[in-house]
Amino acid sequence: MDDERDETLALRAARGCRASFARLLERHYERIFRLAWRWSGSRAAAEDIAQDVTLKLASAIRSYRADAAFTTWLHRIAYTTTVDYLRRDQRIVATEPSEIIRLIDASASTEHADTGLSDLWKAVRSLPDQQRDAVLLVYGEDMSHAEAASVMGCSEKTVSWHVHEAKRRLKVLLEATG
Amino acid sequence: MTQRDLEDLRDVTSPAPSPAAKRAAIDAALVAFDATSAATHKNIESASQENIRAVRPMRTSNANRSFRMGYASRQTMAIAASLAALVIAAPIAFKTYEREQPISDTLEPSKPDIDARYAQPIAVDEKQKLRAGDSPSPYAAVAREDLATSASVSAAPPPLPLDTVSPAPMAGLADGAQHDGLRKISPSYLTGNLLGRPIERSRAFIAGIPQEEPTASPQYNDRDVFEATKINPVKQVASDPVSTFSVDVDTASYSFVRRALNAGHLPPKDAVRVEEMINYFPYDYPAPATPDIPFKPTVTVMPAPWKPTDLLVHIAIKGYELKRAERPRANLVFLLDVSGSMDGDDRLPLVKTALRMLVDQLQPDDTVGIVTYASGSSIALEPTKIADKQKIVGAIDALGAGGSTDGADGIEDAYRLAEANFDKAGVNRIILATDGDFNVGVTDRDQLKGLIERKRATGIYLSILGVGQGNHNDALMQTLAQNGNGTAAYVDTLNEARKVLVDEASSTLFPIAKDVKAQVEWNPARVSEYRLIGYETRGLAREDFNNDQVDAGDIGSGHTVTAIYEITPAGAPRLVDDLRYGKPASGTHESVAGTDNSEFGFLKLRYKKPTSSTSELISVPISNALAKPAIGDVSQDVRFSVAAAAFGDLLRGAPFEAKYSFDDVIALAQTARGDDPFGYRAEFVNLARLAKSARP
Repeated sequence: MDDERDETLALRAARGCRASFARLLERHYERIFRLAWRWSGSRAAAEDIAQDVTLKLASAIRSYRADAAFTTWLHRIAYTTTVDYLRRDQRIVATEPSEIIRLIDASASTEHADTGLSDLWKAVRSLPDQQRDAVLLVYGEDMSHAEAASVMGCSEKTVSWHVHEAKRRLKVLLEATG
Repeated sequence: MTQRDLEDLRDVTSPAPSPAAKRAAIDAALVAFDATSAATHKNIESASQENIRAVRPMRTSNANRSFRMGYASRQTMAIAASLAALVIAAPIAFKTYEREQPISDTLEPSKPDIDARYAQPIAVDEKQKLRAGDSPSPYAAVAREDLATSASVSAAPPPLPLDTVSPAPMAGLADGAQHDGLRKISPSYLTGNLLGRPIERSRAFIAGIPQEEPTASPQYNDRDVFEATKINPVKQVASDPVSTFSVDVDTASYSFVRRALNAGHLPPKDAVRVEEMINYFPYDYPAPATPDIPFKPTVTVMPAPWKPTDLLVHIAIKGYELKRAERPRANLVFLLDVSGSMDGDDRLPLVKTALRMLVDQLQPDDTVGIVTYASGSSIALEPTKIADKQKIVGAIDALGAGGSTDGADGIEDAYRLAEANFDKAGVNRIILATDGDFNVGVTDRDQLKGLIERKRATGIYLSILGVGQGNHNDALMQTLAQNGNGTAAYVDTLNEARKVLVDEASSTLFPIAKDVKAQVEWNPARVSEYRLIGYETRGLAREDFNNDQVDAGDIGSGHTVTAIYEITPAGAPRLVDDLRYGKPASGTHESVAGTDNSEFGFLKLRYKKPTSSTSELISVPISNALAKPAIGDVSQDVRFSVAAAAFGDLLRGAPFEAKYSFDDVIALAQTARGDDPFGYRAEFVNLARLAKSARP
């Protein structure tokens, strides 16, 4: 029975069907978590963000009208929630010295340290927000520039420009670290 | 090479989420989903809007149970409220400081010589608060709104299961050292939420719950931010004969008050700016005949309806109305907040409709550009002449909301567009439409202020259109608009948008005088005490009046500005006692040689022409001849503005109209309805009726 299309389930959930909504969440939780993890690089933060996203979906689903593919729509919400979360998080780091402890604790158990790509990951995450987002959407989530543009709420050209700038900067960053 | 590296990003496997986290997230979402279902029959839109930021993580099977507590009885809530008030006292105090509102500001007299004067108003104020059932704590005056907040916090269901909830209240109180300890023993999501943003998050919680018992959440428990101000005190002419202020043509406060009252609440006191309530209404004051002197002051003196022994001095200023052909060319850039929070009928869609209406009002030669900002900023429309209206309307129609808010980039982009299209002889203005939620991204308000001030010097002004409620950051909007030589208007209905952008388009857009300051010197032989009603945020130092470097408000084409003083004539009963060791305050004053004792005082207005940097002076003696024997003898416009002033003072709990009531306001306004073609005054009377029954 789990072969129903996302859009069908989502429209039903929009009208108040709890079971459909639950099935959508079951089906897409991993996707949400993965996106959150790519952006945040921490399991705890990703779980936190993923929960923020599911909560947001609970009300947002009410206004789902199938004018976009469900996954595109979901991506948009997951993305904005993630970015919001990270911004907020930055603020906390700036104002709360005790946060440093958490960072130290977290780095001890970094899960991507052994992937061999950790430098690149670090570099990508250190990019200016919009460049980071463009790169992660295009390369991490495998979106076209146009799709990324619709998620980021800017023009396709802007995405291309951010990707271009990001590459330039990454090159410098990666060469610097050897 | 980086290209290949980047493509590897796709293949990186993320760690699998823990099943427990997944379960918790889904459960929490389902609870939230059920809550929106419950709200559906009430008001699905507002409920879902609020729920987005409402429900906090509930990684627990108890989620359902605790959520239902949101509907607990009023009594339970009240008890819980007082507990929570104790528990989160520390964050409250902290938060108060954050608002740049030192506690001493409200409680301590600022100068020794005004001790006596202060004692009485404060005492009355305190009593009123106590009667209203507030905490008798000395902090009550300041923390009032925050107490309301804490009530909501506790009334909200505990977002965590009982076994983990115990450290939570401590987390709110604890500082550095304790944080660390807690962090280690508790899962990071727990500490992250509680430590990172204790009040903001928990206060948001209640907002999403259908308010079955609105009494349990007095005033506003959402995120509207207002700057607290001290009500202008009564001053003695003997020690303080000169009163100086900047004109203010903002109207945002009235719209906000209206929205609160329509929802059945009294507005937070800090949201009430009396001068903005007065200046909201169009008045048909005598206008200047030619643009040479851009505005005309008219002064009326009448008995105060709430205190017969006092007089009101009513200063009405009317700006010259530019004829269509005299209008300079307009170079407008709209800077639109299209973040997720702007999604809602009273926000972006309202702004879009308003913009379409405004475009109809402009002339073919004017240009319009549109910059949007959310997670990032982008240019939705390069500056385009109104002649190409289809293109402009098309760009407006294409706008949609989504993403978070980062106002700073957008402002910079908007200034860039305005500069690129700068017209030295024209009007260059940015109109920022937002729900005011700049809190993401821009944390440094002063830096933003600095940017706007610098740009103002280059001739690009900023006006702000506030929409929506819940994120409304009034203080920030005020600061930005005041520093950008602009106005801040709050738009909640289409009717209001029409008023601000169409009927008043020319006054909003085309300034005829800038840096307009008013100064009144009172004659101690005639006046013993005075107070300026409203204008608290616009006070200027006496020496600023003649200093052309000091910025002040602008008057647009056809604008009216009203300021009202309440004065105690010499010899009448006073609020403030004479100093025992000073010279006698009044009444016994010898008339100073060369002054005319037929005058109550002397009004001076300073202004600059829009393109000039040196000021000009207009002065008017406030003479006996201007006095009317009764309030029934003054014009309807003047009478109505007095009713608006009294209404504002009553709403913010000013102690001066103690014997006046909302019924008196209604009666007075009813005698001054005038033509009222758009029903603004009728609406006012309605609001005063609502205020009678509104809950605090």
